Amino acid sequence: MRWRARAPLRHHRLQTILTVAAIATAVSLPVVLLSVGGGVFQHELAQLQNAGYEIVVSASGVHAVDQSHSLAASIDRVGSVTAASPVLSFALDAFVGPGGGAQPVLVEGVIPQAFEATEGPTERSVLPSPLPLGDPTDLVHYRGGSYRGVASWDVMVSTPFMQSSGSGTGTSLILSPDSNRSGGVAFNVTGVFGVPPTTLGPTAAYAMVVPLSDLQVLAGLGAARTSGDPPLDAADTIEVALDGAAAADPSQIDRAASEIQGLVPFYGVTSLTQEAQHLQEANSVLTGFYLALSSVALAVGLIFLALVLVRRVESERKSIGIQRAMGVPGRFIASGIVRTGLLLSGGGAVVGVGAGIILVRLLQVYGSPEVQAAANLAVFDPRTLILLGAGVVGLSSLASALASRTALRLSIPEALR
Amino acid sequence: MNPAKAPRIELRGVAKTFGGGRPGEVRALGGIDLAIAPGEFVSVEGPSGCGKTTLLNLLGLIDVPTRGELTWDGRPIGNRSERERTRLRLSGVGFIFQRFYLLSTLTARENVELPMRAARVPSADRRARADALLASVGLTPRAEAYPHQLSGGEEQRVAVARALANRPGILLADEPTGELDSANTEAILDLLVRVRGETGATLLVVTHNPKVAQRADRHLQMRDGRVVADDGGR
Repeated sequence: MRWRARAPLRHHRLQTILTVAAIATAVSLPVVLLSVGGGVFQHELAQLQNAGYEIVVSASGVHAVDQSHSLAASIDRVGSVTAASPVLSFALDAFVGPGGGAQPVLVEGVIPQAFEATEGPTERSVLPSPLPLGDPTDLVHYRGGSYRGVASWDVMVSTPFMQSSGSGTGTSLILSPDSNRSGGVAFNVTGVFGVPPTTLGPTAAYAMVVPLSDLQVLAGLGAARTSGDPPLDAADTIEVALDGAAAADPSQIDRAASEIQGLVPFYGVTSLTQEAQHLQEANSVLTGFYLALSSVALAVGLIFLALVLVRRVESERKSIGIQRAMGVPGRFIASGIVRTGLLLSGGGAVVGVGAGIILVRLLQVYGSPEVQAAANLAVFDPRTLILLGAGVVGLSSLASALASRTALRLSIPEALR
Repeated sequence: MNPAKAPRIELRGVAKTFGGGRPGEVRALGGIDLAIAPGEFVSVEGPSGCGKTTLLNLLGLIDVPTRGELTWDGRPIGNRSERERTRLRLSGVGFIFQRFYLLSTLTARENVELPMRAARVPSADRRARADALLASVGLTPRAEAYPHQLSGGEEQRVAVARALANRPGILLADEPTGELDSANTEAILDLLVRVRGETGATLLVVTHNPKVAQRADRHLQMRDGRVVADDGGR
């Protein structure tokens, strides 16, 4: 029987199509924002959770963590700590071959054993084990205010660097703090590491890995301030890994962080659980922002729906007047309008969710590299999509209620005139 | 649904004013006293704007009087709530309009079924009664036709069938033959008279057409919102 809500939809086909399109447009925006935003958040969270360490010691501003070797040794003694790994990144110039020009490279300085102990799964998958860097004790060459007797300095190069420079295991290269080859030091390439695929981060974060103290010397961050003093021994951060049980327990992580903070009162100590919490908070703020932005689009869509329904009531005032004159109850007429509203908004929600998913797929293929990377992380959470659709359909009842009220306030004699 | 018993309708000092209290206020009815016995066939005549349709709307509980009392079998009903008046209209009053007013998106059968659906008559009973009503007005072959596929006479016959759907005790017709030719006018009048005879319903017809009025038992003349002549059925 045609008094199902579909009949008027068929009779006003263009109006129906436009209304569904408006609601679908309004729905597709939050689908894209929430799925991509949620995906990026989950990716970042996974990065944190798979970092391989739980606590980071860092200096504020441009200052480095001083005396990093001895600090790492002190941190190592904190209960539940399995490794403390100072890490220094520095940009150097590399010279390959006798006539090769300078190539700027980012070099990571690490204490090999400590670094291995704080590797996350991703790093473990691309770095050889053990790290083929001699000088495992790292600072052993420092004596009396300078480094001496270093016969051979080792370096691991990344696959892209190896391919671009023609270097490889067994070859040698010069690393220099400036573009002057003569100020550099010769390194033997002792290993090659792969570059993990990265999303939303710098690719090939570092091109080379060398022992920490070697990099400190080259960067001028390992020299003694005055003769006889211990060297500056700078690092950017000290990454601290806890044992399995403690690493899985946020309260134990906090306790260890607090203990480490006691050792390094002038540095920042951050646990990754705190980072995750901050990330979660930031994600909540962003989600709220997405929803606020989306609610504007949804409000416009629903105002459009309300206008269409009220317009429809106006155009069908005679039909409504006839029904009311015959004694058809108001709820019967209102339920027809609500059903029409539900069909329009439900159709719009379904089309909008589909359009949102298609839009994300298109961004994955045709977006800029950054957009593609973000779109590739999109997560279509069925619960979110269902809630979104249900919210739209629920809100549409407000639009339907407005139109129903208009219908029920029609004066029957005037409608029949 | 059982047939509604035709009530005794009484109006005492019933007046209706539109735009009351504002400049340009219109007094449509100015104090009408009238009693209509169950089963009467009453015609209401008068010039345009004399208040015929307003009277019909008050009798059909579509509108409420500004003043005075309307009773069915002695029970005041004119000022009942909208919900109650809707319920009474659904079960007790059948309307036939000059312009038929069939719903364009429904077939003839669906138009007839509409009041029964609103009255929650079960689907099978609804369909059977709609078919019976369409058969009684000679429209069985046209049951699936939409209003735009029907002639004027056929549309009005569907409208009569629809008015009878819930077996009302009162049939109110506002210029039911106003848009029909003489042959169809006669056919519709014959139908109304037959229906009234079969159901015992009160039939009140507003008309300008003397031929229609002649068929009635009682004749009311209205002017300026008042009943100026009533032959009392003689």
